[in-house]
Order: sequence, then structure tokens, then C-alpha cells
Amino acid sequence: MGLLAAIGRVFISFLAATGRLAVFAGISVSHIVRPPFYPRLLLRQIIEIGYYSLPVVGLTAVFTGMVLALQSYTGFARFNAESAVATVVVLSITRELAPVLAGLMVAGRIGAAMAAEIGTMRVTEQIDALSTLSTNPYKYLVAPRLLAGFVMLPCCVLVADIIGVFGGYLISVHKLGFNPSVYIKNTWQFLEVMDVLSGLVKAAVFGFLIALMGCYHGYYSKGGAQGVGSATTNAVVSASILILAFNYLITEAFFAQ
Amino acid sequence: MSEAAVKIAIRGLSKSFGANHVLTELDLDIRDGESLVIIGASGTGKSVLLKNIVGILTPDSGSIKIAGEEVVGVTGNSRDRINRKLGMLFQGAALFDSLPLWENAAFGLMSSHRMGRDEARKKAIDFLKQVGLSEADANRYPSDISAGAQKRVGLARAIATEPEILFFDEPTTGIDPVMGDIIDSLIVSCVRNLGATALTITHDMESARRIGDRVAMIYEGKIVWVGDVAEIDDSGNAFIHQFIHGSVEGPMASLIAANASV
Repeated sequence: MGLLAAIGRVFISFLAATGRLAVFAGISVSHIVRPPFYPRLLLRQIIEIGYYSLPVVGLTAVFTGMVLALQSYTGFARFNAESAVATVVVLSITRELAPVLAGLMVAGRIGAAMAAEIGTMRVTEQIDALSTLSTNPYKYLVAPRLLAGFVMLPCCVLVADIIGVFGGYLISVHKLGFNPSVYIKNTWQFLEVMDVLSGLVKAAVFGFLIALMGCYHGYYSKGGAQGVGSATTNAVVSASILILAFNYLITEAFFAQ
Repeated sequence: MSEAAVKIAIRGLSKSFGANHVLTELDLDIRDGESLVIIGASGTGKSVLLKNIVGILTPDSGSIKIAGEEVVGVTGNSRDRINRKLGMLFQGAALFDSLPLWENAAFGLMSSHRMGRDEARKKAIDFLKQVGLSEADANRYPSDISAGAQKRVGLARAIATEPEILFFDEPTTGIDPVMGDIIDSLIVSCVRNLGATALTITHDMESARRIGDRVAMIYEGKIVWVGDVAEIDDSGNAFIHQFIHGSVEGPMASLIAANASV
């Protein structure tokens, strides 16, 4: 009986947290489309999420492309199918690796920063101060971050696509001895718009989820420095899990036969 | 007392957090133009009362009328309209870390009064000067200044929109006695200049005597005494007597024991 009660409590608490997150997301999204708007804050978040994430996303992409070329070459050489390396690299990067790895990297960088900043504002009464100054915290703090995450992660992933494919090209041409023009031709030959588009759609969803988790955990943090620390950890962990789960769902939606 | 003379009327206000009943059927009137100070030991519900009035918390039951208008349950734009009449200095100042001091002081002017940045900056600098800061300080950030200076900026932010009602949450907590005296003097002059109604929460009796016209004592979520500041020493109230003399013995012994055990 005690075990059942414990399972029941966990389940009810999970449902309550899910409901609270859904309400938080709904209110926040409604504030994205309703005035007043804060273009200055949106621009700051766009720079923070987009521009400042480019180095980490670019480095992740270039090394991923290089490793992918090496690994796929090793495998395909056993079937005399080395010519498929370029296609495998470009499809893997655009469909899966660029959005997922960029999402995870940005979750670690931006999700944690958002949770820490908003969490600190919560425990130091800055969010309460916003309310007394007739400023809606959802509109001022959450909406610009959600919108910036939704818009800027696809931009980062587009850059990651190019850099990742370039990483594969570098290894294939300079280390594995592929002909440059043939490699480029093979890269383009089997690439379809939907491959890139699906990656960008994933990135937009991941960007939204990262910002949502960062803002949500920060907004409801309590208990001083320890609470802010927990909020930061929870934001990164939950965003990472959601990225992997939604990656499957979006892949299923795009490519299921 | 006539309804017109009351700026804030609180009736039957209750607020609980789980099994912890913080406010229980609390009644209080704050007169138009007066400075009322609420005193009480830690954990008696002072800050919770203040947060219910300004809309940060929602009471479980009861009524709060500000200038005759019911505010309990009012949200969104209607609440924002009411909040434009209010200004608040938080216990830790609650300045926005990411904004320079002038932008902190001008925040209400730009966000709720839709004032342009240039005009708001000029006005904010005037208010910063009123609280003893210089124009050179305007571009500094909250982390660059002392706790006392942060309280001054918080005060400038609270008065910048020239509100009808000012709230001060523990204005002298965390600063030295000299700075506390300065902050109290600033509060008195700001309230007088604005002709505002003021409600202050404190457990600092010196501060209460300097700021208040009247004093109310809160204990276990209820107001147990209200009177003029001049009457406080001869109130004949056991709670007041114990509190102002800082005595362990008295009707608040159980609360003191509970606080000591935490």
C-alpha cells in the first residue's frame, strides 16, 4: 500500500508539473503576440542565443562532420561503397546531427544561463518588482527569450549544416583522397530540400524548448542560491531530454512511411 | 472613520501556505495621506500582508480596497492600472542587475508611463539626485554600489512615477544605523513632497518612530494594536510593551521560542 501511495504521489506530482508547464507555455506564447513589445530585449536575446552560440555550434559541427567522414569511410570501405560517404555525411548532418548536437550545446549554454538569470531575479524579488512596476514578467522576461530561441536556433543550425559538411569535405579530400569535385557532386546529388527543412524545423522546436525550460525552471525557483543551482541543472537536463524525445517525434512526422 | 478618508481598507484578510496560517481575518485601515508603520516580530505576516496589498500574492479570502476600488482578484491591465498608483521599496532594493542605475530609476516611467528614453533619463537623474546620488552614478550598475546606495536607487525608482501610495518593506534592514537614519529621512521627505500615503513594514523601532504617523502591531496574522506614534510608549498593550523593550517574557513567548528553534 505504501509503495502504491508513493507511486501515486509521484504520478500526481508529474501531472501537476506538466499542467503547470503547459499553462506557463500558453501564457508566455500569448504574450509574444500581444503588445507592448520589447524590441530591445528581443535583440539582446537574439544576439545572446544566435551570435554568441555560433562558436560552440560551429566547433561542434566541424568536428562532427570530420568524425562522420572518417567513420562512414571505414564502414563503407568494407562494401566498396566509399562513394556514399559524401551523401551519408550531408544527410546525417542536416537531418539529425546538426540540430540535435547544436540543440544540446545551446541547452547547456543558454538554458542554464536563462534559468540562472531568471532564478536569481526570482529569489532577489526582481520579478516581484517588475509586477509592482506594472510590467508583466511573462512579457518582459519570457516572451523575448522564447521568440529568440525559436528564431535563432534554426539560423545556428543552418550555419552548422554548412560547417559540418565542410568538415566532412576536409577529411574526405585531404585525408581520404576523394576527388573534390566528385565529393561536392555527391553531396548535392542526393540532398533534398526536405532534408534541410526538417533539420531547421527541429531546430526551431528545440530552440523554443530550451528557452521554455530555462525560463520555467528559473521562474519557479526558490530557496536562494541552492534553488537557483537546482533550477539551472533541471533546465539543462529537462531541455536535453525533451530535445531527444521531440527529435524522434519530428523525425517520425517527416520521414515515416 | 468615513470611507472617503481611508486610502486602503483591508477586511477579513486571510492567507495560508499549506497548514501555515499567516494572516487570519486581518482588518486594517490606512488613512489618506498618513504614514502607517506596521511592526512585528519575524514570521508574523508583515511582508505577506504587504505582498497581498500590492498584488504579488493573492489572499485566500477577504477584501482589499485601494482608493475605494476592490483589488483582490483583479489581474491583467486592470491590476496594472491600479499598480500605477503604487510605488514600492523592497527589502533588498530588488534593483535590476542588468540595467544601469538611471534605467532602474526610470523603469516605471518608460514601461508603464510610456515616457521616451531621453526624457525618462533626465527625470531619473533628477530623482537620483533627490536621494543623494550624483549624475556620474547614473551609468553605474547595482553591483557597483553599496547596499545603502542600492536602497537609495530603490527609493528613487519607487517615487519616480509620483505614486499616490508608497510601500516600504524593511527599509533599514541590512544597512548601518547612520545610513538607516539617512534612508528614513529620505522616506519622510519623499512622502511629504509627494503628498502620498505610506505603508512601512519594519521591526526597527527607531525607524518606526522616525517614519510613522501611526503604528500598527501585527501578531499571529492579526493586528493587535493600532495607535499614534506618540502613544506607543504608554499604549498599555502587552504585545507592544514586549516588542519595544525586546523582552523574552510576554505574550509573544511562544513565537520567540518557535523562531529560536528554527
